[in-house]
Amino acid sequence: MSFRKIFTQHIHEEKCHSLSFYQKNGGYEQARKSLHDWQPDDLIETVKAANLRGRGGAGFPTGVKWGFVPKNTDKPKYLAVNADESEPGTFKDRLIMEKNPHLLLEGIIISCKAVGIHHAYIYIRGEFVFAANRLQNAIDRAYSEGILGENCLGSDFTLDVTLHRGAGAYICGEETGMLSSLEGDRGQPKLKPPFPAVEGLFGCPTVVNNVETLANLPYILEIGAEAYGKIGPEKSPGPKLFCVSGHVEKPGVFELPMGISLRTLIDEHAGGVWKGRKLKAVIPGGSSAHVLRADECDVDMDIESLAAAGTMLGSAGVIVMDETTCMVDALLNIMRFYHHESCGQCTPCREGTGWLEKIAHRIAIGEGRMEDMDLVTEVCDRMVGKTICALADAAAFPAESIVNKFREDFVAAIENGGSPAWIKRHPASTGGAATHV
Amino acid sequence: MSDTSNELISWNLNGEVVQNESGMTIMEAAKAHGIEIPCFCYHPGLSIAGNCRICMVESNRSPKPIISCSERIAEGLEIQTDSEKAVDARDSVMEFQLINHPLDCPVCDKAGECVLQDHSYEHGPDRSRFVEDKNIRHTKELGPTIDIWGNRCIVCTRCVRFCDEISGTSELCVVERGDRSVVDVFPGIPIDNAMAGNTVDICPVGALISTDFKYEARVWNMDRTTSVCGGCSRGCNVEVEALDGFVKRLMPRENLDVNDWWMCDHGRYGWRHLYADSRQVTAQTTEGSVLPAEASKALQQTLESSSSTGFLVDPFMTCEELHLVKQLADSMTGSRVAGWLPADGTEESFPGGFTISAAKYPNRKGVEEIFGADVFGSAASTLLNDITSGSVDTVVAFVGGHGFDGAGAEWNAALSSAKNRVVFTTQQGAWSEGAHLVLPATAPLEKEGVWINEDNRAQRVRSCRSLTDQNFPSELVILQEVQAHMELRSRSLSAAGVFRELSESSSAFEGHSHSSLGDHGTPLSQKPAAVGSEGGES
Repeated sequence: MSFRKIFTQHIHEEKCHSLSFYQKNGGYEQARKSLHDWQPDDLIETVKAANLRGRGGAGFPTGVKWGFVPKNTDKPKYLAVNADESEPGTFKDRLIMEKNPHLLLEGIIISCKAVGIHHAYIYIRGEFVFAANRLQNAIDRAYSEGILGENCLGSDFTLDVTLHRGAGAYICGEETGMLSSLEGDRGQPKLKPPFPAVEGLFGCPTVVNNVETLANLPYILEIGAEAYGKIGPEKSPGPKLFCVSGHVEKPGVFELPMGISLRTLIDEHAGGVWKGRKLKAVIPGGSSAHVLRADECDVDMDIESLAAAGTMLGSAGVIVMDETTCMVDALLNIMRFYHHESCGQCTPCREGTGWLEKIAHRIAIGEGRMEDMDLVTEVCDRMVGKTICALADAAAFPAESIVNKFREDFVAAIENGGSPAWIKRHPASTGGAATHV
Repeated sequence: MSDTSNELISWNLNGEVVQNESGMTIMEAAKAHGIEIPCFCYHPGLSIAGNCRICMVESNRSPKPIISCSERIAEGLEIQTDSEKAVDARDSVMEFQLINHPLDCPVCDKAGECVLQDHSYEHGPDRSRFVEDKNIRHTKELGPTIDIWGNRCIVCTRCVRFCDEISGTSELCVVERGDRSVVDVFPGIPIDNAMAGNTVDICPVGALISTDFKYEARVWNMDRTTSVCGGCSRGCNVEVEALDGFVKRLMPRENLDVNDWWMCDHGRYGWRHLYADSRQVTAQTTEGSVLPAEASKALQQTLESSSSTGFLVDPFMTCEELHLVKQLADSMTGSRVAGWLPADGTEESFPGGFTISAAKYPNRKGVEEIFGADVFGSAASTLLNDITSGSVDTVVAFVGGHGFDGAGAEWNAALSSAKNRVVFTTQQGAWSEGAHLVLPATAPLEKEGVWINEDNRAQRVRSCRSLTDQNFPSELVILQEVQAHMELRSRSLSAAGVFRELSESSSAFEGHSHSSLGDHGTPLSQKPAAVGSEGGES
């Protein structure tokens, strides 16, 4: 079966985001069927059988997650759609919401039917003003056409969808941080257990799914779990949006089957490394992933292959760096981000992210010491796995891998009195190497 | 605050199989076996935040270390508190806690009772690998009684949770993110509630500082007295902390039956009257001052020259003092006893279950137990009439407490009109002016004995004055000396001895003793087990 694009097939057509366009192309048919013909348990089983893995970053099997929600509960159940796409290098959910908002809404209807949810919240990143407007218009239109609200699509199912705009905090993309923020609290991750499926939004059972994950659902129902499972590798199948940014000729979002090779993605789809330069490093799954050296890039873009390569698919935000990149500056850039975005709740992350930025900054401005490379590694070790959420890990993984895989850049910066960019801006500092003992 | 049940769980702690009630957290259960796991953000009276991460231990159920303040024990769980992984996790947190901490212990009021300092000695590195500049955060006033030294804050959020959960006032919050996080108040809304002082106590570092105690004393130099607050009839258990004989601060003392871990600010800061300029410190007659050693003789002579005597007691007196008054009154024909009560304040209740009583005195129950339920009622109106009509020629009045208002306008007027007047008073005032004999009274924190709180719980109070140069004998001493002069008593006893007499003569107090009451008190109705068996000092 040839690969069919489900997210991006029509994105270059005018009015591709409109309800009429979407319905003309078979939109909401699967939602209608799910509401009228499907039993909730069958929907869950189908999604399990399709082996749909979460597209937010952790890759958790979606059907299994739905199965954790208690069936018999007096409490209302909620769907919280994670549209707080804030992982550096990631811009795929935004594309869906801007160009194909009804696909997301259809996915929401299917998942709510499957789990018995009557209220879904979409938590959208605050900076996505255009996407939020588009999505709100789509929601309003869906309500007025009887697609949402009472008696969805002529069934006896009621579903309300509320769009909530975040205020631009990275941590609110973490599922429990997002729930805290939705509840009106400071956006801080919560202790687990209890997990959201049992005690989530407002203390009620909550499914948290990523935009792209939900957007897969109509297609799974359309072609069936078996056919879906044959797209890409067995363990993490399906169509996938890959975001390629950085030093490539043609950055953008590419819809390809899961498991495409990283080389093919960069060289063929993204037009190769720009300006005829050589590849130096790739971060394959958003800035939280371990970095890959150029010689490690013969890897397939799926969850298992990347895990085997010591990194992760994450959000599939592929950040490409060419041979002119100084990895000291890259480290500083990334650490500045995590330091800024740490919520400050857990000690290792609150203090560790700031420390890493300060060390990176010191090395970049020529005040580094040789032992700083080991210090970064040790600080990273002391952060990983010791906090409530994964932000500390997300800062430590790139830091530790950048320092250890590109030691020569760090040695050069320490010996030469700073990163090349720093030296260029501050020529006087050249030669003041390694004065700190 | 875990929900424990009686079901026992077998689990493995550091290689040994141990048992605890199900529902306990690992930290609580380990503590029951003598293993103290360090903590910053955990407080037994507050919800679990799990943010400081110092309590991480190694578990057989998780590849990562787990936090023992939140995870509960389970059948077959194996926990290592001192394995390489656990120690590394703990050391990591300590290193992180200290990198931006100013380490200004020499000028920090918390030094000596600082959790960070203690854990640093035990688990911290002896030198820092952090060579960068430390972060600067705000130092400012958060409210009329509380300042914050933001640089010291470790963002454990105990104070924030206290204001959310216990005082219910929610003034405090964490502002900013990451290592810029610091506790603050909302602009224009200072922390100003009647329980605010507790936030300083529970701050594990010197971030929140009481402006009342700031720069007053190094904590290790102070003497501590285990006592009870006399500010209201709740009877919060406290430590009275004094430097060179002068009280510097009151701290709440844990008692889950009375005040949990807390006390109110009225009680906490309500000790300045001890050092008021108007404090009565010497004995005086209309002719002049009386030497301490002559005071009891002077009182005895007054009593013996009286044909009918009225005793006016107050609800600040201890049961022992009241017992001595009762013995005196019983020995004198024509005498009568009544009591006065200070005006009620307002009751304040807090969402966390803490209540400040409207009754601003500590021992009404004790007075009623010893002199009968009508001592403040019909007996009082009778005595008031008898004084004004002159049918009582001598009145011995006890005017304790903070004493600035005497015994209240009505009694003050009556006292002034009495023919003969003996006044034990804490403060000088119209009620003592022109009295036949004025004697200094002990204020609540200076008493030695037993009070009975509004829930009928008998609790021991101890005097902070024994630490100071005691410039005048207490009522307990004077009253016993008077009894000796009157040949009612062969020798003077300690408060514990007088209480023994009381327990032997009164069925309500029967079976209780100072040692059986212990540091946490006992309901009066709950008789302790016989002497020699368990149930003594708790």
